[in-house]
Parts: sequence; structure tokens; C-alpha cells
Amino acid sequence: MKKAIDKLARALDDHRWGSLWVSLLSIFLSLVCASIILLVMGKNPLAAFQSFLQGAGFWPKASYGGGTGMLTDLFSFLNILAPMILASLSFIVGFKAGLFNIGISGQMLASGYLAISIVGYSQLNAVLAKPLVILIGVAAGGLLGVFIGFLKYKFNIHEVVSTIMVNHIINYLTGFFINTYYADPLTRTMKICGSHARLTWTNVQLAGVKCNVPLGLALALLAAFAVKFIFDKTVFGFELRAVGQNPTCARYTGIRVGSRIMASMMLSGMLAGLAGVTYYCGCYNTIVPKVLPDLGYDAIAVALLGNSSPIGAIFAAILISIFQTGSNYMSSSMGVAKEIASLITGILLLFSACGGFFRLMARRRLDRAADEAAPPASESGKEGAPHAG
Amino acid sequence: MEDYIVEMRHITKRFPGIVANDDVTVQIRRGEVYALLGENGAGKSTLMSMLFGMYEPDRGEIRIRGEKVTFRSSNDASALGIGMVHQHFKLVDNYTVAENIVLGREPMGKMLGFLPCVDMKGANRQIAELSKRFGLEVNPTDRIEDLPVSVRQRVEILKMLYREADILIFDEPTAVLTPQEIDFLLKIIGELRRGGKTIILITHKIEEIKKIADRCAILHRGKLVDVLDVASTSSQVMANMMVGRQVEFSSSKSAPHYRDTVLEVEHLTVRDANKFEVVKDVSFRIRGGEIFAIAGVSGNGQGELADAIAGMLRASGGTIRLNGADITDSSIRQRVEAGVSYIPEDRHGVGVFMDFDLSQNLALRRYYRPPFAKKGILDFDQFDGYAQRLIEEYDIRSGQGGRTSLRSMSGGNQQKAIIAREIEQHASLIIFVQPTRGLDIGAIENIHRQIIAERDKGAAVLLISLELDEIMELADTIGVIYNGQLLKIAEASTMTSHDVGKYMMGVKEA
Repeated sequence: MKKAIDKLARALDDHRWGSLWVSLLSIFLSLVCASIILLVMGKNPLAAFQSFLQGAGFWPKASYGGGTGMLTDLFSFLNILAPMILASLSFIVGFKAGLFNIGISGQMLASGYLAISIVGYSQLNAVLAKPLVILIGVAAGGLLGVFIGFLKYKFNIHEVVSTIMVNHIINYLTGFFINTYYADPLTRTMKICGSHARLTWTNVQLAGVKCNVPLGLALALLAAFAVKFIFDKTVFGFELRAVGQNPTCARYTGIRVGSRIMASMMLSGMLAGLAGVTYYCGCYNTIVPKVLPDLGYDAIAVALLGNSSPIGAIFAAILISIFQTGSNYMSSSMGVAKEIASLITGILLLFSACGGFFRLMARRRLDRAADEAAPPASESGKEGAPHAG
Repeated sequence: MEDYIVEMRHITKRFPGIVANDDVTVQIRRGEVYALLGENGAGKSTLMSMLFGMYEPDRGEIRIRGEKVTFRSSNDASALGIGMVHQHFKLVDNYTVAENIVLGREPMGKMLGFLPCVDMKGANRQIAELSKRFGLEVNPTDRIEDLPVSVRQRVEILKMLYREADILIFDEPTAVLTPQEIDFLLKIIGELRRGGKTIILITHKIEEIKKIADRCAILHRGKLVDVLDVASTSSQVMANMMVGRQVEFSSSKSAPHYRDTVLEVEHLTVRDANKFEVVKDVSFRIRGGEIFAIAGVSGNGQGELADAIAGMLRASGGTIRLNGADITDSSIRQRVEAGVSYIPEDRHGVGVFMDFDLSQNLALRRYYRPPFAKKGILDFDQFDGYAQRLIEEYDIRSGQGGRTSLRSMSGGNQQKAIIAREIEQHASLIIFVQPTRGLDIGAIENIHRQIIAERDKGAAVLLISLELDEIMELADTIGVIYNGQLLKIAEASTMTSHDVGKYMMGVKEA
């Protein structure tokens, strides 16, 4: 046991791979917690996890409806995955520059609403409509982001406060317009978006089953690598990281901090906007008025679990999307409320936020071990080795 | 067995990565002034923090008046009559002196005969008495925020006396004081000893020890080197023991060769965030090949003056000219490119990114230009190569070369990195603010040599320091700042440190 803990401590402390181990440990601990909850409810946790995988199309179900198959489930999972990755990238871009964008939900809703109301009901052909939807999403999100950045730069309003406010404003504003002009009399949601404007090709026949193929996933993967490139390789990304780490020092370096804050919020908003259109005009084709998408908040968990790295976010998004898409099937097959999925996401967020703590504990343990291994200081000779000052 | 009031035997204390105290034994007699001498990081403060109950030793025992004790917190130490004056004072700014002193141990009275209340009148009387007895000259009804640093320190001393401490620990008490104030403090310490108190003085200044201490323990890198009788030991011997090698007391500095004027500041006025004028109508010029040093007590506007010249703060009036060109409204980057280098006072907060690696920190002034970046894309090979060169030239010690995270480097090496980065700009004006604060003697010598070398190469140097010794040693011209104004500008050779000290206190004519 002691040996295993030591090994874990070394892994967590590793300079290069430590953050990956922290994420894996967080996942493991959350699964343990979830298992305990399921056991207390009298369910078999392994069966529950299997049903999550079945629901997300990673494991064959016992039976399928007409014309559907495992691939159908897998593609519906990919439809959720795309906005999840984009939204977490949006959070990461802000976070690296020291900004906590919790307005992703609002930015998604605004861009989705505008895209559907402008393009979704138009007569444009698909070749024009799809790029236009993307453009509207990026523009709407970007403008909202710049606005938040401007408030912070000009009036020193903290972005957490302003994004929460703006979330509510957008929520009620779009709700009002949907209810007044675009409400479907039957479902009381927004009238559905025409398939020409959707970023998902619906009912594509693949291997004999119907699948919804998300265009957004390509966008999301492209965006992940673009964000990685920006932060790793460009002057612009270097400056964003500098501002995020220490604004005073960034200013001393000669970076125009205000303009970088606005730029990072703009980029963050643009990605949130993309997430919005892939969510509302891709994964779904309508908007429920006066409901902010939970995905905008789950994205924060994804980003933190992925150690705010764009590539890490892809894997974290896969994991959390499995819980989100699999929850329906799990709920019906196991008889457990589907909110258990959100509960697991919440526990994951909690543990991944403790990453720094895990690494500190590991460091302490290693230090203590090193101290015990070293000979007592008094016997190490009169001169002794000079220690770091 | 002698009558030791404090004994710390075979004390060992480790922190992650370092041994702060390694089998240290000190024995202190009742009623003596016992000095702990050592460089920064030698383990003096750690040792005393254990005596004051802030840490527990890993090994060894502490005896007070012959009794073995274990402290769980500093309250335990206070209960045994141990008091400590920290480097950073712990006072409530908007309370009066007396309120601060009695805080936590208020004398109670009865209002109208039955309502319990704090007896402030009694407290004031009692504190005035104490102050008079030991010659502290503190008025108990003054507010802390109105008092200068030296008086605040005496309030801290009174706090210990009020709590009837008889073992008094002073942690670097003279670091923030002018020469006159130091003399006064040493007088007070003498007074306290006469009053029967035992005094432990943590310091790295040998002259103070010579003046006041009876015995002196020398620590070097966590180990006790020796305990000396101060009266029979020379300063040179103590200095050598403290550093662990031969020390030269003054750096050799040739006569200056002045060139053209580089920096011209005229009627400069700077306001802080609260619109309060912190630099008032300051005018001076610095020529190439000149070290212009600004002396002053901390908080008299010297930091803001440097920030204004470097562009971190806007000037609200006046002009700043560099090589004849007006830079008053230039951005920070424009100033850097025009030839201003700046070594800021707050290294961690301003000078470096602690979580960036060394190579990135070394390139902070040029990362956006070729060859470090082409068309907005960074070339990290160039970062590595540049870092490698600077690491060798400036002897920066880092575990993994350019890839070392700044956080894992020692303070001295972080400062070396900042200085290397700024000097490599080959700027016409280099601003040094407190360049040697918190560094050990070896590093200080090294930085002083670099400052002089840059001057000899023709740079104009603006040196702002709170250490008067440093200013006297390096300056060609001295300006004394008091309350935001330059009270006096004179050739360094025409002023003694006592003259400068007087101007620092705001005296207009010496």
C-alpha cells in the first residue's frame, strides 16, 4: 500500500506528465464516489457505468429501434461532443489570460438565437446558409466577448459579475422575442431551424442505420489545434498568457494589457458563439425560451479536468459527454434519476479543482521521504553541502 | 552551570528542500544583548521564530529559565515573557498607540460603577509612564497612521514592555531607519538592558553589533559558526565568518567621466491612484557615465518617481526627456525601445513571471522582434540560445538551464536574471530600484560591480535605494527625496551619510 502511494506521489509530482496523472486521479476518485452513491441506492455501479457507455454508443445495447444502431448513438454523442469541446476551449482562452468567462451559456444562447432567426427561416441554399450560420455565431459571440472585455478594461467591472448579468439579460431578451415572434404554438419552443441552416446532416444512412453527422465536430477539432497553436507558438498567445499570469509584469514588459484582455474575451466569445450554433443549429434545431444551456457551465468542468489544455479538453469533453448523452439510457435501464450524470460531473469538477492540492500533498510526501532517507544533518560533516539560498 | 535565561540546544529545522537550522545551540545570559549575525537566509529569523513559538523545531530542545518548554503558538511564548519586534510591524493603522498596545489585554474599568468597559485613560497613563521610563518618546494618544516608521517601531517595543516581556527579540530593527534613528534605537536598547531586560538582536549589520551587543553568535548557511565576545573581536573577523570567506568592505570605483545629458526631468508631478500628489515638482538631470542616487526613507515618492520615468505611472505634470526627445507621454514599450531599462523594486510582482521559464523571462524585452519572433510566430530555439548565453555571461544558477521555472530559483538568481535582461538592452538609462534588497553580501558585491561597470560604459544610472550605505558607496550625485520633493541635490563627495540622513528626515539646511 505504502509503495503504491509513493508511486502515485511520484507520478503526480512529475514535471511533464503530472497534470495528466492529476486528471486521471480526479476521474478515478469521482468514479469511486459515484459508485458509493449508486451502491447506497442499491444499484450495481458497474452495470450503471456500462449503461452510460451503451447510451453513448460505446457499447452495444440489448436491442435497438427500427433503423437505428450503435452508430446512431455514437453520432448523437458526437453531436454533443462538438459544442462541449468548443465551449471548453472558450473557457480555456479566457482562463489562460486570467479571465473567468462564465458567460459562455449566454453567448451560446445569443448566437444560436440570432443564427436561427436570421438564417434558419430563410430561403438560402445550404452552401450559403451553413457558412452564414457559422459567421453569425462567431460574430455574435465575439461582440459579446469584446463588450465584457471593454467593461473590465474601461470600468474595471469584474468579468464574473458582468457575464452573469449579461447571461440573464440575454436569457430574458431571447425568451421574450421567441415567445412573441417565433414560438411554435404546439411545443412552446422556438420554431425549428430549417435543415439547410443546420450544422448537422440529419438521417444520413451509414452502415445501414440512420445517423446525424455533425459538421461541428470538425470545427471543434480544428479550433482545438488552432487554440493550442496560438498559445504555444505565437506572440499573441504568449502575451495572453503573460497577462493571465501577472498583469502588472505584463504591463512592465510593454504589453498593452487592456487590449489583450479585450482580445482574449473576444476570442473566448467567438468560440462560445461557435459552440452556440453547433448546439442550437446542429445538435438541436430549436431553442427552449428562458433556459440557459447547462453545457456552458459543464464546459468549465471540462476545461479544468483537461488542465486547461486544448488537447486535454478534447479527452475531458469525451468523458463528460459520455455521462451527459448516456444518462437517458442509463436512467431508463437502471431506474436511476438521470440527474446522477450531473452529479458525477459536479464531483469531477470538485476533484479537478483540487488538482493543486493533490500535487501539494504529493510534494510534501516526497519531501518527507527525502528527509527520512537523508542522514541526520548534524552528521553530514562540518562543512556540509551548501543548500539553496 | 551558568544562569542562562534562554537555551536552545541542538536545534534542527528543515523546510522543503533546505535545512534552515542545522544543530544550532545558543545560550543567552540574563540581561545581556545577544546578537545573531548572518547573511540573508543564514537561518537567524527561523531560529528566533522557533523561540517565539511560530515554528516547532524538528529536533533539539528549548529551555527558558532552565525549564524545558514546547511552544504550540506564539501565545505560549508571550506567556513566558518573550516578545518580538518583527520586520513588518503588526499594528492597526487607524487605532491610537495606546489602543494598539492594550489590544487583547485591555485594562477593564466599570462605567457608572457596574458597566464593564475598557479603561483607556488608565491605559494612556500607564503607557506614557512606560514610555518615559525607557526614553521611548511615544505619545499614547497619537494615531498609528500619522506616525513615521521609527515611532511605529517604538510602539512595537512598548507593546512588549506592556506585556511584561523580559526577553525581547528584535528582527532586523534598523533596516528601515535613518542613521539618526538607528542611534536613537540603539540608545533605547541600552536603556532596556539597564532596566534588566534580555535582548536578542537579529541583524546583518556589524557596526550595530559593535556598538551595542555583548556577545554575538554567527550563523552561516544554517550552521552556527562561532559565538564571540564582541568587545574583543574585530569587525573584519566577524564579516569573514559571516560570509564564510574574505570580504572587501568597499568596491573600487574610479572617478566618473561624464558625457552628454541623458535624462532630463523637469517639474515632474505624479499622482497616485487616490489623486494624491506623491511626486511634487521634481527636476534633475543625469549625464551619461553618472550614477545619480536618490536617497530617502521608504514611501517618500521614490518608487513612483521611478515608475513615472519608466512609464508605469502617468506624469500629471512636467516633462521627461531622454537624449533630448520628449518621452513624457510615450508608452512603456516606446520608452524601452528609446533606451530605458528598469530593474523594479518588486521582483516577484513586477519584474518576472514566476511560472514562466528562465529563457522566456530573459527575453521579455525582445520576444516580439526578430530573431525571437517572425511574423508573430515565436522561435523557441532562439529563446534557448539567448538564455544560454546570458546564463553563462551573468553566472545565473538554474537547475535546468533556460527551461528552469523562475519559481524554483533563489531570490539572488532571479535578480541576476532581471539585471542581465535589462543590462543586455544596452540602454542609455538604467533605473535600479532597491537592486540588492534581500540579497546576501556576495550577490550585493556582484551587483554593485555591474552597476559601476555600466556607468563606466557610459550609461546614465538612476539608483534608488533605502540602504544609505549603498548610496554612499555607489553614487556620483545624490538627490535626497522627502515627501515627494527633491530637497537636496549634491555631488556625493560633498556629503557625509549624516548629512544625507538629516535631509532624509526633512531638514532643509544641514
